[in-house]
Amino acid sequence: MRGNPWPAETGGAPAPLQQRETMTATGRVASAADDAAAAFPAAVAADRFAARQLAVGAAPARQPARKRQHGREDRDAARKAALIQAAATLIWLPQAALIAWAIGGLAHGAPASAMLAPAAGVLGLGLLRAALDALGVRQAFRGARPTLTARRRAACEAIAARSPLDMNRVASGEAAAIVGEQAEAVQAWLSRFQPARMKASIVPLVILACVVPFSWVAGLILLVAAPLIPLFMALIGWRAKAASEAQLVEMGAMNAFLLDRLRGLATIRTLGAVEATATRLRANAETVRRKTMAVLRIAFLSSAVLELFSALGVALVAVYIGFHLLGQLPFGAWGGKLTLAQGLFILLLAPAFFDPLRELSAVWHDKAAGEAAMAALDRLSTPDTAGEALPLPGARQPETPADAAASPFPMGPPLEISLPAGPLAVAAHDLGFRYPGATAHALPEAFSIDIAAGERVALLGPSGDGKSTLLALLAGLAAPQHGVIAIGGQPLNDANVAGLRQRMAWIGQQPHIFTGALEANVSLGRPAPDVGASARQALRWANLADVAANRGGAIIGEGGVGLSGGEALRLALARAAFNHNAGLVLADEPTAHLDRATASAVTESLLDLAEGRTLIVATHDPELAARMDRTIRLAATDAPEERT
Amino acid sequence: MTAPAPTTPRPAPPGNPAGSRSPALQRSLSRSLPRSLGAVLKLFWTGQRNHLLLGAALAAFTVLAGIALLGLSGWFITATAIAGLSAATALAFDVFAPSAGIRFLALTRTAARYGERLVTHDATFAVLAALRERAFRGWAQPGAARRLLLRPARLLFRLTSDIDALDSLYLRILVPAAAALGAALAAGVSLGLVNGWFGLLAGLWLLLAGLGVPALAARRALTPSRRRSSGLETLRQRIIDLTAGQTDLVMTGRMAAAQAGLAAADARLADADNALNRIEARVTAAFSVATALLLTAALLTVAALAESGAIGAPVAAMAVLVALAALEPFAALRRGAMELGRALLAVGRLAPRLVDQSAAPVRQAPADDQVVATLRQVSVRHPGAARPVFADVDLTVGAGERIAIIGASGAGKSTLLALLAGELEATTGEVRNRPASLLTQRTELFQDSWRGNLQLAAPQANDATLMAALTAASLDDVIRGRSTGAMTSPLDAPLGEGGAGLSGGQGRRLALARLLLRDAPLWLLDEPTEALDAATARDVLGCAARLAEGRAVVIATHLRREADLADRLLVMNHGRLTAEARRGEPAFDVLLAGLRPD
Repeated sequence: MRGNPWPAETGGAPAPLQQRETMTATGRVASAADDAAAAFPAAVAADRFAARQLAVGAAPARQPARKRQHGREDRDAARKAALIQAAATLIWLPQAALIAWAIGGLAHGAPASAMLAPAAGVLGLGLLRAALDALGVRQAFRGARPTLTARRRAACEAIAARSPLDMNRVASGEAAAIVGEQAEAVQAWLSRFQPARMKASIVPLVILACVVPFSWVAGLILLVAAPLIPLFMALIGWRAKAASEAQLVEMGAMNAFLLDRLRGLATIRTLGAVEATATRLRANAETVRRKTMAVLRIAFLSSAVLELFSALGVALVAVYIGFHLLGQLPFGAWGGKLTLAQGLFILLLAPAFFDPLRELSAVWHDKAAGEAAMAALDRLSTPDTAGEALPLPGARQPETPADAAASPFPMGPPLEISLPAGPLAVAAHDLGFRYPGATAHALPEAFSIDIAAGERVALLGPSGDGKSTLLALLAGLAAPQHGVIAIGGQPLNDANVAGLRQRMAWIGQQPHIFTGALEANVSLGRPAPDVGASARQALRWANLADVAANRGGAIIGEGGVGLSGGEALRLALARAAFNHNAGLVLADEPTAHLDRATASAVTESLLDLAEGRTLIVATHDPELAARMDRTIRLAATDAPEERT
Repeated sequence: MTAPAPTTPRPAPPGNPAGSRSPALQRSLSRSLPRSLGAVLKLFWTGQRNHLLLGAALAAFTVLAGIALLGLSGWFITATAIAGLSAATALAFDVFAPSAGIRFLALTRTAARYGERLVTHDATFAVLAALRERAFRGWAQPGAARRLLLRPARLLFRLTSDIDALDSLYLRILVPAAAALGAALAAGVSLGLVNGWFGLLAGLWLLLAGLGVPALAARRALTPSRRRSSGLETLRQRIIDLTAGQTDLVMTGRMAAAQAGLAAADARLADADNALNRIEARVTAAFSVATALLLTAALLTVAALAESGAIGAPVAAMAVLVALAALEPFAALRRGAMELGRALLAVGRLAPRLVDQSAAPVRQAPADDQVVATLRQVSVRHPGAARPVFADVDLTVGAGERIAIIGASGAGKSTLLALLAGELEATTGEVRNRPASLLTQRTELFQDSWRGNLQLAAPQANDATLMAALTAASLDDVIRGRSTGAMTSPLDAPLGEGGAGLSGGQGRRLALARLLLRDAPLWLLDEPTEALDAATARDVLGCAARLAEGRAVVIATHLRREADLADRLLVMNHGRLTAEARRGEPAFDVLLAGLRPD
């Protein structure tokens, strides 16, 4: 399958996060390993693309096709960029020829006016080269950036398409590191490394083809020096590469050490250990530095080899041509004798012959980082190889009619579901659910439950007995392996789960606090006639008015100061209350980890919220359970029910 | 290609408008930038002056050798060609000196390059080590430490990316700049030997174009670099919101909007990338134009000089080749110029943490020997907040007394502990206390050996003392089980991040052993058994009671089992102490009964 844009190398084992940290921590000083890595000759020549299908989650059949098209366009753009950049570099050939023949003319006593034409030519070609250079840089960017966007999007779609119950789902910090910072390396890889690689495989060959017709000896010198570079770099670099990679991990540990100590700063300060820790940090860093330098002394030899051969290549060509022109080395020019202009021409091309190789070595770091980023993004975007990912029902369906209209995929609009207004009945029959990879069932066997509209029910039992799982199944956060669930008489399935969720209010155990102001955290951007007023009303109702007054419009969440456990739960209540259309309230352990006063306040709020709605609470708090109409124990196979 | 950026703005989940700074703040930032840059460069300079200079000098020498190699080769070929025209001159031509010179330059260039890389990297590592140490010290200052504790995720991410950005200041900007400067001087001088005016003008042109273009580019890149940096932070936040907030988004039907918000953040990032790339493209083109102009001028000049007989063809060839090679080192500044904006942003943010700050005011001890802490009419108000979080609190903690502060979450319990720990200063009122040690709510153990973790509290303690503390905390069996070999002490066994490899209860007990080593007369325990099961919690609390013998203890809690440790209960409500009871009084049992059981 030629359409796939990702080279075979990306299929390797994904780099662990630790390694990524190394990249950013020491990326700029990591050139030792890069140079050593540049040794692999295959990388210069290889331009083969692997056939690897990238399926994204439970993507519809259409998706891979879209991706294929992306791939072809990316590759074409990268090739175009590389060709433009190579063309810009090759403009040096006519420029060099003009310079060489002009100086040749000078040597033969040509008048100054004879210089006007070649000088104008050099200038004109130089301006053309400037334009092509700029175009090449732009083209490389334009080709690469959409790939980054597409890959980010695919990764986020895949994350969003996995059920929150999926234990193997990526942690948020890791997702941010991979899709955020690490993914940036993809762009540098595509826009710098790929063109440099193509240039390194085109330009030296063209130059060689221009040199050989004049002198096979000069051509031979270049031809011998060029492959020797990767060879020697490999010989020196191979062992150094492994050693320096290990060492660079230690360099990355310098950052890890700092972060580790800063995270525990309160303890360090209270123990009066600031001075000791700072000294220790410094001593550690100095040790790492000494060890690293010992390794780099060898690793840098490989970059020295590159320098040596390119410098010696130029020197040998110059010396050979000099002796040849003197008549002391009369061979090498196909039986004739080189003119001064021809000799100068060859000399001017010699450094240009090595430049693409040096350029490639300079961007080698981009390759390693880019491939690691690609592998990490792949890992996020593709489901587990064992096929054990737990999909989120309806994740690939539009959530609202507006989403359907704006969606680039030709999906149908969400089904219009006819649900009764007011409280919704809940019925589940013969449910069976098992977590991927688990042998035990998460629910009592063939579990069935019938909850009347407006009823208030507690699912009681110690933790780990499936009550949170059952609640999640009722909310459509995962699909049961068998059995059916109906909400308000409508079956819960991929097609109408989004519509049904609009009639549900969810109060989770640990509600996520989004980056933003408190009010925005209540509305979450949901439409309402007067969003601000509705959010404020919900905050007042949830006893968060004080907190809102204290914080003002301050940012809370990831970027800001957090909320206490009780405040977070009241925020979840406010979020639930914001949805006036809800006919079913689902609450998962709402009073766990709260002090008694807060727990009872939450209980009252919950009952208030349940007015005119159906309420299902998963809990092990007997005080909360006692306030419900009915308690369902999930613990044993013969689920006893009790009415209060 | 389908661009996912939403065309119609949809209400995205909450997100702060990234990088929106008031103009006044922006101005004050740009005013303080020179001072900040000075602070960072001083840090570079004081520690590693010789290495830094040597590295730059070697870089310049590498470049010079390259220019000389090409210039000499051009002269040699042209001279030999002219000499080779007749057999007599060919024989008389001294080939030895120039060809040896060429080979010598090729070898010295290689050696200089090798030396440059070693020296510059060594210097960079040294600077990084110093930078990390200084950043740590800076963040360990009381005010900064508290800010860090309040919003660790964002600040720690910024800190590491800022330190990384500073890496490029020396390697990518200062070293290439030194090399380029050397190249301009050398080319100017060598061309000046051919013709004074030619050399002067060429040197000036090299400086003007070679340094002016990157400088201009760096200036232009400032704003997009800032937008890029804040855009990346926004993107990061939205990814975290999408991943960690998935359930909330799905249940409110906002997942599609969250994805659109993420795509919008990426689109803004792409905009900044695009602006930076456009600048980079212009710099590339500008260098090509500058090179073409210099080459053309050199060709015309040498033609005129040759016609007037001032120089011969070999010198003309040398001059053209020197001009050709002279601008090459400037191209290395291209990437550096693009990164300067990000580095300056990092400088502006890091520098305040790098300068020495005045030490925290030393807490005075209470006058009475039998008292470990007193609070008189203490209020704390966060800047900009409408009301104080802590108001008019009076409290005396006697030596050896055990107090539990109880109250709902957000009542001000943590503020009280922070005040006693010296992490927070009172806005009004007076706090006096003897040295206090805080047991943080989350067990904070470090990636280090057992010894390293324990010696934080007592750097001079010997193994016997450390083992005694572990025995007191009933951890002696645990550590004996970890003996790594016959020769090494079990104290050398490593602990993972956050104390990985220990159970929750063991981690707590290890933290208590550490407090014991610190030997402060006042212990502050912040919800010490939160998130532990009942049996483990009893075990930890028993341990705490035993170890705290003879010390004053203040516990912040909402659990009955923890409050039961105390002799006196204090109720906090909305930042005020509203009730108090001592053990033995009926109110004590009433308050205790009102707390949450296991």
